[in-house]
Amino acid sequence: MKKINLIILFICCCSTAYAQESYLYFDWDVNIPLTNKDWIDNTSARGAKVGFRKFIGADRKFSAGLDFNWAYFDEYKPTETFPQPGGAITTDYFNEIDQFGLTASGQYYFQVGNRQHFFPYAGLGLGANHHDYIVSYNIYTDKESSWGFLARPEAGILIRIGTRRRLGAMAAVHYDYSTSKSVNYDYNNFSSVGFQLGVMLMQW
Amino acid sequence: MRLLDQLVVSTNYDTEVDFAGYSTYSMSTDTIGFVSNQNPNDTILTQLKSGYPRPVLQRVESNLNDLGYTHVQKNQNPDWRINVYVVNDYNLFQQVVYPSYYYPSYYGYGYGYGSYYAYPYVNTYATNTGSLVVEILDLRNITPDKKVKVIWGAYMGDVYSTIDLVKQSEDAIDQAFVQSPYLGK
Repeated sequence: MKKINLIILFICCCSTAYAQESYLYFDWDVNIPLTNKDWIDNTSARGAKVGFRKFIGADRKFSAGLDFNWAYFDEYKPTETFPQPGGAITTDYFNEIDQFGLTASGQYYFQVGNRQHFFPYAGLGLGANHHDYIVSYNIYTDKESSWGFLARPEAGILIRIGTRRRLGAMAAVHYDYSTSKSVNYDYNNFSSVGFQLGVMLMQW
Repeated sequence: MRLLDQLVVSTNYDTEVDFAGYSTYSMSTDTIGFVSNQNPNDTILTQLKSGYPRPVLQRVESNLNDLGYTHVQKNQNPDWRINVYVVNDYNLFQQVVYPSYYYPSYYGYGYGYGSYYAYPYVNTYATNTGSLVVEILDLRNITPDKKVKVIWGAYMGDVYSTIDLVKQSEDAIDQAFVQSPYLGK
C-alpha cells in the first residue's frame, strides 16, 4: 500500500511538472549606475538579461526561476596627469565595469482583467554578481575583479500578444545591489537601476 | 581609436638628486637604441634606415637646452649621458624599479651600441607593446665598480599602435619634461 501511494505521488509530481507553465525571456537591459558616480556615471545601453521561470500552482500567481544578467559600463576621461611618488603619469583613459551575474528569483503576479494578455508582477532575485573594474589607457589595461552577493527587487509586466501564440513581450524595471568591492577604484558595493525590454517564449 | 590619439607618458626620477646642479650632457644625434625580445640582434635604429630617430632626438635635445643644460661631446666630460631607445614587448608602465643602475657600465659603449644598451629590468611581460624610453644617466657619480645610475626616465607608449608616430612621440617627449618640473638649471 505504501509503495502504491509513492507511485501515485510520483505520477502526480511528474504530471504537475509536465503541465507546469513557464516562460523563457531574452531582454535588452539598460542600466544606470548609482554607486561611485565620479568613476562612472554614464548609462549603459550594453546589457542583457536572459531567464527561465516556471509557474507554481495552477492559477499562475507565483513563479520561480533563474536569471542571468550582463552589463557593460564605460566612461571616457580626458587627459590627466597623476603625480606619483618619484614621478608622474599622463594619459587619457576609460573607466569600465564589466558585470555579469546569476540569481534565483521568485515572482508574484497581480490579477488584471481576464488574465489572458497582461501579467504584471513583482519579484525578488538573490544570487551572485561578478565585476571587472577596468582602467584602459592607450593599449594598456589595469583590472580588478571581484564577486559579491546580489539582491534584485524587480517589477514588470508580461504581455501575451495573442492567446493562441506563444510569443510575448516583457518589460521590467529592477534595482541591483551587489556587495562586490574594488579597493583600488573605491567601490564598497555596486548598485544600479535597470530597465529591460524584450521577448518571451511562453509555455502555456 | 580615442585612446590612441596620444601616448601614455610615465616619468620617474631619483628624489635625492638636485638636477639644477648639473650642466652638460651628451647624446646621440641620429641613432637610438632598440631593445627587443623578438629580435635580440636588432639593437639600434639609425636615421638612414628610419625617419624616426632624428626628430625624436632633436625634441629631447631642445627640451634639455630650454631647461638650461648644454649639449657637449662625450669626450668633453659631460655630467649626463642621455639614453634614448625603443623597447619592444616589455610593458614598462608596470615597473616600479626605476631609478636603477645600469649593467654594464657607461664605459662599455665604446665597443658598440650593443654593449651600451642594457636591457632594463622589468617585472611584467606583455605582447605587442612598444615604448619609447628617454633616460638621464648620471656620469658625475659613477660608482667604483663602474655602474651608472639612471636618475630620470620617461616611458612613452604604445609606439606600435600610434596614429602618427613621430608627432605623437614629439608631443609625448614635451609632456615628459612638462610633468618633471624638478628638471632645469
